[in-house]
Amino acid sequence: MLVFRSEDHIAKWCSDWRFERGAVLTLRTCWRLAEAWYSHDRGDPLWRRYTTEEAVNIFERLGLTGDFWRLR
Amino acid sequence: METTPLDLGLRQAIYNRVLAGAKMPPVSELCELVRQPAAGVRASLQRLADAHQLVLQEDGEILMANPFSAVPTPFIVTAGSHFWHGNCIWDAMGIAAILHRPVTIDASCGCCGTALTLRVPDECSDEHPARVHFAIPAAHWWDDIVFN
Repeated sequence: MLVFRSEDHIAKWCSDWRFERGAVLTLRTCWRLAEAWYSHDRGDPLWRRYTTEEAVNIFERLGLTGDFWRLR
Repeated sequence: METTPLDLGLRQAIYNRVLAGAKMPPVSELCELVRQPAAGVRASLQRLADAHQLVLQEDGEILMANPFSAVPTPFIVTAGSHFWHGNCIWDAMGIAAILHRPVTIDASCGCCGTALTLRVPDECSDEHPARVHFAIPAAHWWDDIVFN
């Protein structure tokens, strides 16, 4: 996942590298996703990876819906 | 495959070291930390990798203990006198989350290379012009986690 100065720069990068545009997040949404994903210390023996259902719930809570975010 | 007590101990040792600001521990150091021979440590690291809890280099050393990278990346995360490398911009922000403290990310525009310095979470607003691009659909992130 890369960061770009603006949405225009994402469009240029996709064109230059012949990549389809994927999902574009604001910094706020990306931070909220990072918080949801990584706040639990992974050194904690109780930490475990999210189940598919839990991950989907996080995506949906952040408005990350549609085929791109589908896990099941 | 079941996670063993050694797997949990190793994971704890790895994150304790990195969260304290140390470099990603090599296998030789992990052997000392958990007092186990290299063969057992390498097998444990492989189990953690198979469970998508770590990513290993070809020689069996750790490449990623997400959100941390063991190798230099273009996502440098600084908090106080310590710095780390994130695997991507999401992981760089994830370092602020796992540290539970504000960080500064020194990155650059994926298109033109212009420097992008972001204070996280203070500057993470919807109004900031910078955007994050996820190129690979979520269901395929682990198909090639290094590229992703």
